[in-house]
Amino acid sequence: MKKKNMLEYLLALLISVVLAMAVGALIMLATGHDPLEGYVLMFQGAFATQRALGNTLAKAATLCLTGLATAVAAQAGIFNVGGEGQLYLGAMASAVLGAKLAGMSPWIAVPLCLLAAMAAGGLYAWIPGVLKVKMKVDEVITTILLNTAAIYFCSYLANGPLKTMERGISSGTDSVDPAFMFDKLIRRSNLTESLFLTIIITVFIWYLMKKSTTGFQMKLTGQNGRFARYSGIKSDRLALLSMVISGAICGLVGMFEVFGLHKRFIVTVSNEFYFDGMLVAMIARYNPVGIILMSLFFGAMKIGGAAMELNAEIPSTLVVIIQSIIIFFMAAEGGVTTLLKERISRRRTAATLQKGDQA
Amino acid sequence: MNELASILNIGLLQNTLRTATPVVLCALGCLMTDHVGMMNIGCDGMMLIGAFAAVMGSWLGGSWMTGLLLALAIGLILGLFYGVFVIKLKSDEFIIGVALNIFAGGVTTFLLRELTGQSGTFHAPEGNLSVLPRLNAAWLDNIPVIGQIFNNNTLLVYVSWILVLVCWVLLYRTPAGFWFRSAGEHPQSLRSAGKSPEKMKYIASVLCGMLACLSGAHLSMGYLTTFSENMSNSRGFIAVACVIFGRSNPPKVFLAALLFGFIDALGMRLQTFGISSALTSTFPYIGTVLMMVLLVWRNEQKKKKLAVSGLR
Amino acid sequence: MSENIVSFRHVSMQFPGVLANDDVSFDIRKGEVFALVGENGAGKSTLMNILYGMNTPTGGQVIIKGKTVERFDPSQAIAMGVGMVHQHFMLVPSFTVAQNVTLGREPRKWGFVSDLKKANAIVDGLVEEYGLTVNTRDRVQDISVGLQQRVEILKTLHRGADILILDEPTAVLTPQETEELFSVIRRIVREKHMTIIIITHKLYEVMAISDRVGVMRSGKLVGVENTCDVNERILASMMVGRDVLLGELDRHDPEVMDNDVAVTLDHIQVTDDRGLPAIRDISLELHRGEILGIAGIEGNGQSQLIEAITAMRPLRGGDIRIGGVSIRKMTPGQVRALGVAHVPEERLKTGVSAPADVTDNLIAGREKEKRFSLFRTHMKRKAVRQYAEELFEQYDIRGAGVDVPVGSLSGGNMQKVVVAREFSFNTPVLMISQPTRGVDIGAMEAIHQFIIDKRNAGCAILLISADLDELFRLSDRLMTIYEGRITGEFTPSTIEKTEISYYMTGGSKEAQA
Repeated sequence: MKKKNMLEYLLALLISVVLAMAVGALIMLATGHDPLEGYVLMFQGAFATQRALGNTLAKAATLCLTGLATAVAAQAGIFNVGGEGQLYLGAMASAVLGAKLAGMSPWIAVPLCLLAAMAAGGLYAWIPGVLKVKMKVDEVITTILLNTAAIYFCSYLANGPLKTMERGISSGTDSVDPAFMFDKLIRRSNLTESLFLTIIITVFIWYLMKKSTTGFQMKLTGQNGRFARYSGIKSDRLALLSMVISGAICGLVGMFEVFGLHKRFIVTVSNEFYFDGMLVAMIARYNPVGIILMSLFFGAMKIGGAAMELNAEIPSTLVVIIQSIIIFFMAAEGGVTTLLKERISRRRTAATLQKGDQA
Repeated sequence: MNELASILNIGLLQNTLRTATPVVLCALGCLMTDHVGMMNIGCDGMMLIGAFAAVMGSWLGGSWMTGLLLALAIGLILGLFYGVFVIKLKSDEFIIGVALNIFAGGVTTFLLRELTGQSGTFHAPEGNLSVLPRLNAAWLDNIPVIGQIFNNNTLLVYVSWILVLVCWVLLYRTPAGFWFRSAGEHPQSLRSAGKSPEKMKYIASVLCGMLACLSGAHLSMGYLTTFSENMSNSRGFIAVACVIFGRSNPPKVFLAALLFGFIDALGMRLQTFGISSALTSTFPYIGTVLMMVLLVWRNEQKKKKLAVSGLR
Repeated sequence: MSENIVSFRHVSMQFPGVLANDDVSFDIRKGEVFALVGENGAGKSTLMNILYGMNTPTGGQVIIKGKTVERFDPSQAIAMGVGMVHQHFMLVPSFTVAQNVTLGREPRKWGFVSDLKKANAIVDGLVEEYGLTVNTRDRVQDISVGLQQRVEILKTLHRGADILILDEPTAVLTPQETEELFSVIRRIVREKHMTIIIITHKLYEVMAISDRVGVMRSGKLVGVENTCDVNERILASMMVGRDVLLGELDRHDPEVMDNDVAVTLDHIQVTDDRGLPAIRDISLELHRGEILGIAGIEGNGQSQLIEAITAMRPLRGGDIRIGGVSIRKMTPGQVRALGVAHVPEERLKTGVSAPADVTDNLIAGREKEKRFSLFRTHMKRKAVRQYAEELFEQYDIRGAGVDVPVGSLSGGNMQKVVVAREFSFNTPVLMISQPTRGVDIGAMEAIHQFIIDKRNAGCAILLISADLDELFRLSDRLMTIYEGRITGEFTPSTIEKTEISYYMTGGSKEAQA
């Protein structure tokens, strides 16, 4: 039964991806581009060189973390749409601390910055979490609004009180001590040592969601909160915990951006990274293994899309369009299958009844 | 005291109306879907697409009217699209809403580049874009404060006021409104009365699409006079919050949107006193969250009071 | 009198995986009261939904007043004079009585505005004509279930129905309300020449009200009889297909005889979801080795009573002690740890997580026990599964195994999952609410025996049920509850059901004396 569901899901996924890519091809045709060329460029852009491969992996790591952040909250029945804001605050907190601790041993300073990022993201997720759990304020709306608030607030800090005095930098905080920066794993690519941390976190979240008693309790809380409470599970506390974990992961992603690439907090530290990850999680139906695989696929698409824009002048937002179309198809899959099944069973009954009449 | 007076001037009230209008229009659409039981959180994306369609329509057609028409037509299609997924295919409305928002960001950016070759913000190559007209009644000018506030607004500001009334009458005073509300509250009872709840849901989601796109048109042709990427800026979600705050009752939702507009306008006002615009920009979002908390808190208090009085 | 008003011809209804109606043919005559009986899931409601156009049959024909139904649609059925009062009322809670009655055909003024004054007047007229007293301006959410049913009947009358289908109309009514309903039915049949089809599984009601009776079993029509030619025993054997009703229960003296008090309620006060008082003042003691039954019309505080004892609902006043410990400030989990298991009234809302599989549902709440986890952290999936399979076997749950979602099981088997989980905690105290609602006779017998076994083993059991037969069959002691207060205490063997219903509706010993 489970296997059958899995197969059905994979089939639906395959059809959705193919259809969405076909729609993407149509769009390219309609706007006067060669779809074949576009997709080839996309593929090359993602895998052709070592550097491209590194960028793809780095992108996949980001998608994987943000996707898992969505999934871990969703498992307990909370939709954290506010990861973008949590990411910004995590980036800001770690950047400020990284600059303040300059000169300290990286072995002490970097873990402190990690903690600061996690605390900032987690705390910012805790607010809508508490509002949801204690006061039943809808978290989708609050998290989204808090996103925008956080981004504006960080941009205020980066252009105002925390603006760096360095010359030639018009916006951004002081740079962190270069000794704290993550080393590149592949030269000139975005892939850094943060990949190892990503792997550790990914395994931890997978274990938490799929193998631990806490994950089991989170699942029941998400499926039927009243039932969970009735079963003696502290569902409120679990929902809040999952939200804080989700926020902490987002904060870390922000820190990885600062300590891997930008050296300082800048306003463009993220470009809707969280929403990309959220899409991945939705397509993978919040399954951690699915998220890992799916983020590799979409990481390649994102990086390849950028190359496509550079070489063929096809806007890379095409990738976003294709992604959202995949989601539309996947979301419709259940309904389409039911409609088809109904039609088939109806026809079958009609046939058997006809046979009965003749007999 | 003097400072306070200079903050609370007429410009503040004008700005309140101006900033509230897109939220009002979008919230009216959203409230329709809420009444039939399918809260559309995709209306932020619909608003963005509407803003884009309006500017493109105005640019290509040469008149604000073609812009408005194109926005409404696209809104109709988006509403149907949302309806087919949520009603016919029984997709999760949350997922469809989120996907719609992301799709909107992608498709408007993509089309802006493909159709105009520009990115970021649209500048009409021929110079000025035809935008929504401002209405003026000469006799109102003679009345000091009222004239300044109620005159010289763009067309859709007045339309939004009329629509608040229209929506209220429709929902609470006409049979169609009763069918709407029963489709959300107890669809089976409507079905057993021989009316189709699905039909009501389709109508509501089409209305929502059109109103959301209308609000987008106001955003790009009234509030501002051009399209720029992601210009809806989560206003659609503020609209959703206003709907929750006003319990889907049009006049109450209108007041909630005005409150939002006031906070926004106050923030803009404070900028002239040297407070960073990035900081004041956070006000409406934090304000809306506080509004939602306040609402729930007030309900709890009511419940407690009821319990105490009941047990006596 | 004997003219056929409705005819079913070879009607079949295939749902995905279920053949709900299988080649059903019979006629209903004008001006009669026709009872349609059968167990849960026998296909009665499906057949009537077809007549009312809510379902389109996959085969066969329906003929109403000589015309074959072409398009199955409620508005079509309404136009042909068919009205239906559903088991779950089709009423919009926030609308007034008049708004509900006129829904879909509202009187208008100026073409598009609803004329509420006229609507009130029309409904007042109907109330007058048929003697179905109800205040047309009240909101439906504020009136009693019995009155809501009247609103439903008024609705069909307003739509001009002369064929009225009543789906399990007495399930939620008190005996008095049932009697009133029956006199309304008799009056409208006599005076207005209406045809009534009544779906039920209460056989004494069939005998009391109907002219003819049709019996259904697993989708097929077993037979149609004149009511005066049959008795309850004959009908029952037609319904179940075997010659027995409920068997005797194996009841003996409990093993624990110390007669300890297990649970004490001390002047408790509890409010409902809307913040209105549900329990005003209740004190009672529950002893070990007894089943204490609580009888009451739904909505008189019995749901909140069990929720309060299991800490699902906060106490507003008074105190509850379990084994001497006050649970005032406790969570449901802490109360469970004191040794209380709970079979909740709403299976799907509280009793199971429908999307989770049977295994998960069977061990929910004990995932941190040593046998199922390492260091309370790592779940031992193998041990969990093995245990679930044992319970599956032991409680005779029937379904496609322990890996399917609980939501895909039938009502009876889902209830067995709940019972299996809660009883396997082996707690000394059991809170049981509506244990056999929507459950077929086979599963009902099994669940009753499980409950009695627990009692025999010395458990203290509080039982709430809307089914008086069930309460009389199982309880050692019976209490009646009315508007959040206990109105009487009885021994089942020494009191009649009719007398109980007097206390269930607010009567008191003083008043009777």
